[in-house]
Amino acid sequence: MTSPTIEDLRKQLREKFPQAHGHAPLPDASSEVAGRPFEVSSFPAGAISEIIPATQGGGLSLWIAGLLADPEEAAEFPKFVLVDGGDSFDPASHTAAACSQLLWVRCSKIQEALKAADLLVRDGNVPFVILDLCGLPVAALRAIPASAWWRLKLLCETGACRLVVLSPSPLVPCANLRLSLTNHSRLADFDLPRREILQRMRALPDRLRHAT
Amino acid sequence: MFAAFHIADLPVIAALWDQPEWCGRPCGILREATDRDDGKIPLLALNIAARDTGISAGWPLARALVRCPDLKLLSRHPETEATLRTKLLELAESFTPDVEITSPDTVLLDLAGTKRVDFDGLETLPDSEVEVCHALAETPDLAHFAVMEPQTRGRFISTREIGSLPLSLISRLEGGGKFPPLLDLLGLRTLADYCRLPRQDLIARFGPVAGHWHDLISGKTRRLLKLHRPPESLRQSIDFDDAIHSSEALVFILNRLLHVLASRLAARHLAASVLEIRLRLEQGEMRREIRLPEPLSDPAALLKPIQTMAESLVLPSPVIGLELDATAAIPLARQNDWTRRQLPNPGRWADTLARLEALVGGGQVGIPVPLAVHQPDAFRMRDAGGDACGFPTADGLPPCSMPLRRFRPSLEISVASESRSNGHLRPLALLTGPYRGEVLEQCGPFITSGDLWNPDQEWGRLEWDIRVDRFPILRLIYQKGGRWQLDGIYF
Repeated sequence: MTSPTIEDLRKQLREKFPQAHGHAPLPDASSEVAGRPFEVSSFPAGAISEIIPATQGGGLSLWIAGLLADPEEAAEFPKFVLVDGGDSFDPASHTAAACSQLLWVRCSKIQEALKAADLLVRDGNVPFVILDLCGLPVAALRAIPASAWWRLKLLCETGACRLVVLSPSPLVPCANLRLSLTNHSRLADFDLPRREILQRMRALPDRLRHAT
Repeated sequence: MFAAFHIADLPVIAALWDQPEWCGRPCGILREATDRDDGKIPLLALNIAARDTGISAGWPLARALVRCPDLKLLSRHPETEATLRTKLLELAESFTPDVEITSPDTVLLDLAGTKRVDFDGLETLPDSEVEVCHALAETPDLAHFAVMEPQTRGRFISTREIGSLPLSLISRLEGGGKFPPLLDLLGLRTLADYCRLPRQDLIARFGPVAGHWHDLISGKTRRLLKLHRPPESLRQSIDFDDAIHSSEALVFILNRLLHVLASRLAARHLAASVLEIRLRLEQGEMRREIRLPEPLSDPAALLKPIQTMAESLVLPSPVIGLELDATAAIPLARQNDWTRRQLPNPGRWADTLARLEALVGGGQVGIPVPLAVHQPDAFRMRDAGGDACGFPTADGLPPCSMPLRRFRPSLEISVASESRSNGHLRPLALLTGPYRGEVLEQCGPFITSGDLWNPDQEWGRLEWDIRVDRFPILRLIYQKGGRWQLDGIYF
C-alpha cells in the first residue's frame, strides 16, 4: 500500500506531464510481428529479437515449425540456421522439405552455442539465425555476460543479419524486439492439423527495457 | 585416312588368359541375363575352336549345346579385359595421339599428319600373344566396318569394296540395332544393296537416320573422332628431411604447393573442385579431403579452407611426407541468376561450416533429413554444401501435429503405474526427474516396434503423451525391461 503523499505526488506529476505518463506506444515492428510471427520479414534486420514462452505451454518448437512451414519442394540451400544449444530439435516432427531449409548446428554447451552463433552471424550467407537456448540449464543462461549479447548485436548490425534468440525467460539486454508466445494447446488438440494449432498461437510483443 | 584396331572375341580371350590349356577347345561366354531373355540366354562371344563347330555368337545356349556338346562356358574376367583394352589403347597411341575408343574392343585412329601408315608386322599386342586386327579406310566408320569382317582386315579398303560387307554391320551403329532384320526382309544383304536404294526414299520410309547411314556407307560423311585424352594428374608429393610437428609448418608447405597447383590449373584454364591431402606420418597415414563450394584456382582462396582444416588437425605422430592432389573442374563463369537463390559468398560459407565442425564436432552440423523408418529419433545429417542425399527420406506429414523437443539422451525416471484389464500399463505419477507429479491426463499407449528380424537390434516400446500439473505436455516411454523414460517435451 503506497502512502497518500506519494499518490498525491504522482497525481500532480501526471497533471503536469500527461504525455510522460500515458501508455508508451509500442514500436512499429512489434505490432507488425505480433500479427505475423512466422514471417521472416517481421523480425528487424541487423538486430537481435528474443522469443520467450508466456505460458507453461511454451510454443517455441511450434514457432520453429511455423517458420519452416510446409514447402512443396526441398530447398537447395538452407534458409535458416538453428543453433540448437540443448540439442533438442526433432527432425521427425517436420517434413523432409521443411527440414531442407534448416542448417542444424547441434551444440551441448552454452559456450559452443554462442561461438557458433557468432560464426554464423559473422558469415552472413544465411541471414536468419535462430539461437535456441531452451534446453540449457537456467544457471548457465544467467551467467552469460551482457557483453556477449552486445557483441552479437554489433555483428548483426554489420551484416544485416536477423538473430532470433529462443530462451525460457528474458535474457538479451539489447534485444530490439521481444515476443512472448502463448500456446494453450491441450492433449485433445494433438489430433488437429498443425495449421490450426499455429493459428491459435498468439505472439505478444513484450515491453522492452533498453539499457542506456 | 583412318585406321581401326580391334581385338576379336575380347571377352573369351580375357577369360582364357589364365587358362591357356583351354585355348584349343571350344569355349564361350554367356551374355548377362536380362528380363527380356525369356529364359534363353544367348552367347556373347566364342573362340575360334567353338566357331569352327558351326555355332556363332548370339545363339541361345541350348541351341549351341546341341551343335557343340563340348562347349565350355567361361566366366568373364573384367580386370583382364580392362588390361587388354589398356594395352590396345597404348598400341594405338604409339602411332598417333588422336585416338577414339569406339567400343570396348575397338579403337579408331586418325592418321592425318602421321607418316607411318604401314602396319605390316602388327599382329599381336606388345608382350602378349593376343591378336590385333586392323583395317584402313577413308572415313572412321568405314574403317570400323572393315575391321569387323575377316575378309577386309589388314589392308586399305576402298568405299567400293566396303559394299561387299554384310548389312548386319549396321547394327553396330548408334540406333541401328533393330533395323537389320527389317532390311533383311526387304531382300537387302550387303551394304552395297543398301547404297543402291534412293536416299530420299529411305529417309521417307525409315526416317533421317537411314539417310545418315546412306551417306556414311557411301563415304560422303566423315565424322570427327571423340578423342580420348588420358586424365592429367595434379598430384604433388614432398618428403621432409626433418619430420614436421606443427600444423603451422604444414600450412606453410601446403601454401607453396598450392601456388604450383594454381599455376598448373591456370595453364589449363581449369580450377580445383576438391583438394585431397595425404599426410605420411611416422606411424601410419592421415587423409583429408576438402570439397570446395565452387571451383577455385586462386591460391589465396584455396589456402583458407586448408588453414581451417589445419586448425582442427590433431597429429598423432610427426609428419614425414605430404601429398597434395586436386580434382580439376571447369571454372564457373556465370552471372548471378536472379530467379534462383544463391549463397552470396560460397567460399566463406564453406569456411564457416568447417569452423563449425571444428567447434561442435564432426557430423554435428548439417541439414537434417528425417528417415522413412518408424524408429524413434531416426534422421541423417546431410552435408550443407553437398548434393542431395542418397537415402530414403520420410515423405508425408509428421505423425504428430505438435513438434517435440527431444531429450538426448532420454531421461530415466521412476513412474508409478498400474496394469489394466487389457494387459496395458497406465502411468499414474512421475516419481523422479525434473517433472514430478501426478499424471492428470494421458493419451496412449502407442505401441511401436521394429527390427524384429534382427535379435541384436530389435526394439519395442510404449509411448504416452501425458500432462503433469504445472508442466508442458511430455512424452513418456516404457521400454522393454521395465525402463521408464521421458523422450521429450512439447514446449
